[in-house]
Amino acid sequence: MIALGPLAVAFAVFVAAIAGVLLLWWRGDRGRGRHQAVSERSPFAGGRLPSVHAWNRYHARYYPMALVFLAFDMEMVFMYPWSVVFVREGLIAMVEMGMFIAILLLGVLYAWRERALEWA
Amino acid sequence: MGLTSGLAGLASLRGLALAAPVPVFAVAGFGTRTAVQDLRLAREIELVDTPRAAALLLIAGSINPAHAEALARVHDQMPHPRATVLWGGSAVPAPFSPEVTRVPWGEDPTPAAREIFRSLLNGSRATEPPLLPDVDPVEWRGVGPYGQGGSGMTGGTPYGRPMAELAPDRDGLRLDALPLEIGPFYPRLPAGLVVEMTLAGDVLIEVAVPAGLDRPPDEGPRRPIPASPFERALTEPVRIAELELARARAHLRWLSDALINQGLVALGTRALRLAHDIGPGDAPRIRAFTRQLGRTGLFRWSLPHGQGVGAERIAGAGLGPLSRAAGLAEDVRTEDPAYRALGFRPVVMAGNDVPAWWRVRLAETAESLDLAARAGEADTALVGRVESPRGRLEPDDSPTARALPLVPELLTGLEWGDAMTTLTSLDLDLDESVTAASPALAATA
Repeated sequence: MIALGPLAVAFAVFVAAIAGVLLLWWRGDRGRGRHQAVSERSPFAGGRLPSVHAWNRYHARYYPMALVFLAFDMEMVFMYPWSVVFVREGLIAMVEMGMFIAILLLGVLYAWRERALEWA
Repeated sequence: MGLTSGLAGLASLRGLALAAPVPVFAVAGFGTRTAVQDLRLAREIELVDTPRAAALLLIAGSINPAHAEALARVHDQMPHPRATVLWGGSAVPAPFSPEVTRVPWGEDPTPAAREIFRSLLNGSRATEPPLLPDVDPVEWRGVGPYGQGGSGMTGGTPYGRPMAELAPDRDGLRLDALPLEIGPFYPRLPAGLVVEMTLAGDVLIEVAVPAGLDRPPDEGPRRPIPASPFERALTEPVRIAELELARARAHLRWLSDALINQGLVALGTRALRLAHDIGPGDAPRIRAFTRQLGRTGLFRWSLPHGQGVGAERIAGAGLGPLSRAAGLAEDVRTEDPAYRALGFRPVVMAGNDVPAWWRVRLAETAESLDLAARAGEADTALVGRVESPRGRLEPDDSPTARALPLVPELLTGLEWGDAMTTLTSLDLDLDESVTAASPALAATA
């Protein structure tokens, strides 16, 4: 039984969660047999009905986001090995990292100018 | 914890729910816009932005019967339990039950709202059934034997709605264009205004405003009672101090709505309190508030830049702050000898975009309070046309009616957020437009 302890707790949490869901369902509109009318289901946009289905394909514009991701990702790729040798190399490693980050920062500034930081 | 204390806990939970502000979705009918806006200052009521978050639908004043179906749909979109309160207004709109709770105009609707909310929560009042018939526009059925399949992604027409059509987008691709109509009861727009737009992602590629919005309601008053000082100034001399104070208040009321649209609810509520508190000579308070708004980064970062229409396009249109922000010194007050005697000069800026519209209105608010302090007992000397907070108002012509045709070209190409900011920054007021078009007023002028 002691070995079953954590399992029993997990099972109790599982049962409690199911009971909670059933309780909410029973107390909610569906459990009381209340049907949702068409007008109650329609989305709100000020009182009119939408004329087309909401399933809509649009351009998510990932490309500028990819630019920003690359800038930060490359930084981390270089920083892991650098942190291993930083203590041994001392000031030179520090200066090298400063130069590297300055170049990357130019990339970020370029992305900022290209409005890559705005999701649109 | 025993059963008794558990039940007591549940009872106190119910007490907490009852003590919460009543979530109200308010629809401002003809001439009731300021009264509905003032409900933001009521502690007992929380004005919510969507019927999905509301328990009570508050219908203030008379609603145009053309919008009866839309109003009924807004009612049906509230979750259960729900109720409706009519505040003023002459007739119960068509599909609503005649037994709906009514509060006379001039009385505070807060106690009635609180009482109905209480009875809804403790179950002594039944929730209201849906008003519109429960029929799908078209049955969803594809071509297969079980209603599945067909052309398009889902097959058939789901709930009578076809899939979106293709249109070129700004990246040279052909993707879905989503038509969307907002209004007539969209919380950020004046009640009755409908904007039809087509969206590619969140960019508006096509915008239209249907004509005929400035139609007076078929029933109920044609003019707000009491008439605003600007409407009175069309037919009789009015104290300049009163007129300018009303202008400052109208600008602050617009500012309140516009700030709330920006998500700055606390500042918006402060602007509304200022609209109540200010008097002649309070210009320093307005200037301090303007500086505070500047420090939030609102003008530099938050408002969209460079979206105005060209100055040559609106020259002579008399659009008030919009014209003066485009560098045009158009102001009816300059034609009035009484104003000239006070040394009045219109505020003119050269920005011609949304931040410039805001700055001109804020500068004019302070200027109006200065004028009100200087004017003393002086009356206006010009009758028949007046500079309303939105521009040149004449008996058969309102600035809102002249600004509405600009909406499509202002909004096309903007992202959704910038478009909504631009729309609220125009300060459209259909009531003013209705009053100006009203035959009763034209007859008295």
